[in-house]
Amino acid sequence: MNPAHENLLTFLARQTVSAATPLILAGIGELVSELAGVIDIGIEGLMLTGCIAAYTIAGATGHGSLGLATAILAGMAVAALFAATTISGRADQIVSGTALNLLALGLSGTIWSLYQNWRGNHDLSTALPHGAGYSRLAVGALARLPFFGPVFFDQYSLFYATVLLAAMVWGIIRFTRMGLILRALGDSPQACQACGIAVRTWRWLAVLFAGGCAGAAGAYLSIMRTHAFATDMTGGQGFVVLALVIFGRWSMGGLILGCLFFGAINSLQQTLQTARYTSHYAALHALQSVPFEVFQMLPYVAALAALAVLSRNHPGPHRLGRPWPEEISL
Amino acid sequence: MLQLINISKRFGPVAALDNVTLSLRRGAIHGILGENGAGKSTLMNILFGLAHPDTGKIELDGRRVRIVSPVRAQRLGIGMVHQHFKMVESLTVLENISLAAARGLWSPGRRELIGRIRAWTDKLHWNLDLEKPVADLAVGRRQRVEIVKALCTGGKLLILDEPTAVLTPQEVAELIPPLRAVAAAGMTVLFISHKLAEVQKLCDRITILRKGRVVYTGAINELDAGQIAEKMIGARLKFPRLTDHQEQPDNAPRRDSGELAPPRLELRNVSIRGSRHGAWPLLNVNLSVRSGEIHGIAGVDGNGQDFLIRCILGQLEPADGNVIFGDSPDSHRKTPGTRSGTPLGYIPEDRLREALVLPLSVQANLMLKRYHTSPFAWMGLCRFGRWRQRSAELIGQFDIRCPDAQTPVGTLSGGNQQKVVVARELGEKPRLILAVNPTRGLDVGASAFVMNQLLAARREGAAILLVHSDLDELLAISDRVSVLYNGQLQETSWPDASREQIGKMMLGIA
Amino acid sequence: MMTTFHSSSPLRRHAGRFSRLISAVALLPLTIGTCGLALGLVLSGLALAGYPPLAIVSRWVDGSIGGIYPLTNSLADACPLLLTGLAAGIAFRGGVLNIGAQGQFLLGAMVTVGLSTRWLIFHSAPPVIILAILAGTFAGGLWALLASVLERYRSVPIVLSTILLNFVALYVVRAILQGPLQAGGTPAPQSPQIAPAYWLPVFIPFTSFHLGIPIAFVLAVLFYALNQRTTFGFESLVIGLNPGAARLAGIRVTRKQFLVMFMSGCCAGLGGALQVLGVTHFMTGSFGNYGYAGIAVALLGRLNPLGIAGAALFFGMLDTGALRVEESSLALPHAVVNVVKAVVILLMLLLSAYLLGRKLRTRQVDPSPPGDRGSDKL
Repeated sequence: MNPAHENLLTFLARQTVSAATPLILAGIGELVSELAGVIDIGIEGLMLTGCIAAYTIAGATGHGSLGLATAILAGMAVAALFAATTISGRADQIVSGTALNLLALGLSGTIWSLYQNWRGNHDLSTALPHGAGYSRLAVGALARLPFFGPVFFDQYSLFYATVLLAAMVWGIIRFTRMGLILRALGDSPQACQACGIAVRTWRWLAVLFAGGCAGAAGAYLSIMRTHAFATDMTGGQGFVVLALVIFGRWSMGGLILGCLFFGAINSLQQTLQTARYTSHYAALHALQSVPFEVFQMLPYVAALAALAVLSRNHPGPHRLGRPWPEEISL
Repeated sequence: MLQLINISKRFGPVAALDNVTLSLRRGAIHGILGENGAGKSTLMNILFGLAHPDTGKIELDGRRVRIVSPVRAQRLGIGMVHQHFKMVESLTVLENISLAAARGLWSPGRRELIGRIRAWTDKLHWNLDLEKPVADLAVGRRQRVEIVKALCTGGKLLILDEPTAVLTPQEVAELIPPLRAVAAAGMTVLFISHKLAEVQKLCDRITILRKGRVVYTGAINELDAGQIAEKMIGARLKFPRLTDHQEQPDNAPRRDSGELAPPRLELRNVSIRGSRHGAWPLLNVNLSVRSGEIHGIAGVDGNGQDFLIRCILGQLEPADGNVIFGDSPDSHRKTPGTRSGTPLGYIPEDRLREALVLPLSVQANLMLKRYHTSPFAWMGLCRFGRWRQRSAELIGQFDIRCPDAQTPVGTLSGGNQQKVVVARELGEKPRLILAVNPTRGLDVGASAFVMNQLLAARREGAAILLVHSDLDELLAISDRVSVLYNGQLQETSWPDASREQIGKMMLGIA
Repeated sequence: MMTTFHSSSPLRRHAGRFSRLISAVALLPLTIGTCGLALGLVLSGLALAGYPPLAIVSRWVDGSIGGIYPLTNSLADACPLLLTGLAAGIAFRGGVLNIGAQGQFLLGAMVTVGLSTRWLIFHSAPPVIILAILAGTFAGGLWALLASVLERYRSVPIVLSTILLNFVALYVVRAILQGPLQAGGTPAPQSPQIAPAYWLPVFIPFTSFHLGIPIAFVLAVLFYALNQRTTFGFESLVIGLNPGAARLAGIRVTRKQFLVMFMSGCCAGLGGALQVLGVTHFMTGSFGNYGYAGIAVALLGRLNPLGIAGAALFFGMLDTGALRVEESSLALPHAVVNVVKAVVILLMLLLSAYLLGRKLRTRQVDPSPPGDRGSDKL
C-alpha cells in the first residue's frame, strides 16, 4: 500500500472512492429516512456508535465480521431510541437527533475508556490487534486492470456491498410499490393513512434501516479504513452526509455524485497532510505553504457552498421533519 | 347489505355517536345529512377503520365484521373519498391509485390496475390521464381520481364525504350521472353532505344525524326540504337560514342609493406573474371596495384567490398595476402585511395557521395586532393591566365563551376560536376588512354569528371584501358580486343576475 | 398575579416546533424527576459494569459541592454552559434552530484571546478587558448572523449551516492558533497566555469564582424579564410558535429572527470570552464542547432562562464532580458525564411525549387529521 508505488492520479482516485464509501453508505440510510419524512440529525452519532461497536468487538474477539455485525445492530439500537422519541413520541426530530449525537459521544467515550482499562492498555495505543480488522479484497483479475483495477476492484468488501445496496435501494425506490410508499410517506402521510399504510411502522423501519447503514459506515471507518479508533473519528462526516442528501436533491445519483466529490476533497486533504511529512509526490509540494487547516475546512465550506448554490427551490419531501399525526386535537 | 347496529363513540365527555343504527341496501344511494359536528365524519371514520366504536357492531352481508384499519375496510370492499383529498401530489395518477389499490411490496401492479381503472372509467364516461402528476390536475379532476381510486380499492361500498364542497354547481350536476352508474353497477353509495338540494337530487334514502343521534331514516321523498332542515338543525335556529338570501337578516338596501362613497381599496389593472413562464395567476384585475358595502368575490378555489389576497396583503408584488388603499393614491406600498398601522381587518381562511397562536392565551391572541401600540405597551414593555382590560371588553362584546382570558385559545371550540379572530380583527373598527371563507368549518350558529358581525361592520361604514367559496352564503350578504375565474375578475350585475348565471361564470362558460 | 403569555397547558395543535417544550415550562417536578431517573439509570448501568454506585455518588457530591473549591469550580463550569444554553434557548424560543453555539463560542474565545494577548495592549487593564469581551461577543453574533444570511438569501436551512459552520469555525480557530496567534516554542495550536493583569477579577482568592459568573446569571435574569415583560419577548414567542400568524399580525418575522440569531450568537461568543478571561487564560485547538452541551442545557431548562440557569448548574456540577470521580481510585471515565446528559435529554423528550400524549389522548375529540395546507419545515 505504499503510495510511492502508484501514480498520483490512481492513488487519489482510489482514496476518493475509499473516503466516499462511508458517506454513500450512511447517505443511503439518510436518504431512505428523509424520503419517509424523518430527518435524522443523529447520523453523526450513529456512525460514531458504529465505529466504537465495531472496534471493540473486533478487537475483543479478533473477528472483523463480528465487529461489523455488532456495528449494524448498535446503529439500529440507537436509531430505535431516536424512533421511539420522534416517531412514537412525536418529539422534535432535530432536538432528538442532537441529543442522540451527545449520547453517542458519551457512550463511545465511556466504552472506549472501559475497553482500554479492560485490555490493560495504558499506553493509549489506538490500533486494532493484528488480524482483527478487514484488509482489502481484490476481485480476481479485475483488480489488475490499469487504473480501474486499484480504484474499483481492490477495495474493502463493504465497498462492494455498498455498491450493491445503492443499486438495490435505487431500484426499489424507482420501480416497486415499496418505493412508492416510501416517497408518499414523506410527501403526504395523510394519503398513506387513507390508503391503509401504517405510517409510523414504515417510518420506524426506515429509521432502523438508516441506523444500520450508519452503523456499517462507522464500522468501515474503524475496522476497515483505519484499523483504529479515536473519539472524534467521524469528525462531522455525518453532518456532511445530511448536507449531501440535500445536495443530491433526494436522489440516489445526486447523492453518490456528491459523496464522490467530497471523497475527493477529503482524500486530497489527507494526502496533502501526509505529504507534509513524507516526500512522495513532488507535485503536491507547491500546495504545502497553505496551512493544512484550510484543507480540513474545505469539505465543510464546500458543503455550505453547495447548499447555497443548490438548495433553492428544492424543498424535498413535503412533510420532512414533521411528526405523525401532525397535531393532536384537544 | 351493510348494517350498523347501536354504534356509540365517545371522545372524552362528548358523545360523538349515540346508539346509531343504520342499514344500507345494495345498489342504493344513501344520503347522510347533518350539520357540522353532528357525527357524520366520525361515522364515516368508523366505517373506514380510522376510528373504532366503543359499543355496537357492524354486519356486512349478514356477517359481523370488525373494521380495525383502512386496510381491513378496503379488503371488505369499502372505498372512501375524503373531503380533503388524500393524494400524494408529487406522484402520478396511476401511482396514487397503485398506492391505494395494489397489495404487496414489490410490484406496483400497473397492467392489472390499468385494466381495472379502464373498466370503471368506461362505465362512468370519464377520461383520466394516468401518467400525469396529481399536482397538475384541477380540483374537479382530482376528485374523479379519488372516486376511481376508491372504486378500485372498494367494490361494494363507496363513501363520499362532502364531495361537493369544492365543486361548482355545474360540476355537482355532472357528478350525478356517474354516481348513478356506480349504483347501477351494484355498489352501494353513501353520500355525506349538508347541502339539501344535492341530496334531494341524488339520493334514494337518507339518514339524518343530529348531535350524534339518528333522527330520521327513510326515503327521501317522504319529507320536504323544510322538514329535513328542521330535523337537521332542531329547534335552535329559525328556518329559513341566514344563507337563504330571500330573507336577509339585515334589511338594508343592497345598493347604496345616491352618491357612491369613495373606494377604500382599489386594484387597478393588477397582474401577477406566475412561477412558470407565461402563466398569469392574476391578469388585469380591476376591483374596488367602497365604504359601507360588501363586495363578494365568488369563484371555485384555485382560480387566483390566493394571489389576490396575498397581493392585497402586500405579500406579493404585482408585476403590473397598482393596489391603492384609502384616499392616498401613492400608499400602495404601505401594505397591511407590514405594521404600518393601516386599519385593515383580515379574517384568513385558515385561522389555525394564519390567525391564531393556539398554545397562547385568549388574551394574547386578542392582543396580537395591538400589543406594541399605545396604551398596551410603553417603551417596549407590555402593560398587562391594559391587556386584561381590553381583552375582557372584547370577550364580552363578541360573546367568546371561555373560562377566562388566560385559557389557551386552542382549547376552545372552532366557533369560539373564530370569534377570537373576529373580535381581534373587527374589534378595532377597521375601515377595510378582508374576509376569506370566514365560515369554513363552522356550524350554522357560528356561521350566522360571523356573517352578522360582517353585516354590522358594514352598517358602521367599513368596506368589506369577502372572498368566499360558499356561493349561497356569499350571495346572502354581498352588495356586489364579482367572479374570479382563471385569474380574471368579472363583475356581475348581482342581484339582477341569477345564481345560475353566476355559477356558469365561475366555470367560465358564460 | 404575574401574567404570562402562555399557559402551562400541554397544547400544541398547529403550533411550531418548540411549543411542546415551551408550554411545558411549569413541569419542574417532571424535569427534576427526569434528572434523577437518568442518574439512576446510568448508575445502575455502571453498577452492572462493576463500579460501586454509592462510592461514585459520594465522590461526585464531594467533588461538586463539597467545600468552597469544588463549589466555585462547579459555578465556573456552569458559566459557559449557561451562556451557550441561553444562546440555544433564545434562538429556539424564537423559532431559529441555531445549533452553532459551538462555533460561535470558539470564535468569541479566539477573538478575545487575540485581543488580550497580541492585538490590544494598553497600560491599564479595564479597557482591554471590556473591549476584548465586547469583541468576542460580537464575533459570536456575527458568525451566527452568517447562517441567517445564508438562509435568507440562499435558502440554506439554519440547522445545517450552523452545524457546518461549527466545523469551519473549529478549523479557522486552529489555523489562527497555529499562525498569527501561536505561542512560541510549541508546534501545537496553542495561544500564548493572557497576562494576569487582564484576567477577570476573582472574588474569593485562589478560587475560580470570577466576575463572569455573576455576569452570566444576571444575564439569565435579564433574558427572563425580556421574555416575560417586553413586546420583543412576546414577538419572538409568537414567531416561534406560529410564524405565519406572526407575519400576518404585522410582525417582521425575518428581521426579528435576524436579531434573535444575533443575540443568540452574542451569548455564545460572550461565553467563550468569559471562559478564556476568567478560567483558562489561554486557548488550544480543542476548547471544550460547551456549545453542544448548551443545547442540552437549553432543552433541560425548557427554554426558560431561569430554567436554563438551573440546568447549567446541574451540568456544571456533573462535570466537576465527575473529574473527582475520574481522579479517584475508581477511575471512572469522564465521558460518562456525556452519557448522563444525553440520557437526561432523551428521557425528558420521551417522558414529556408519552405523559403529555396520554393526557391528550383521553381528551382527543377529532381523530381525523386536518387539511394538508402549507408547511413550515426545518
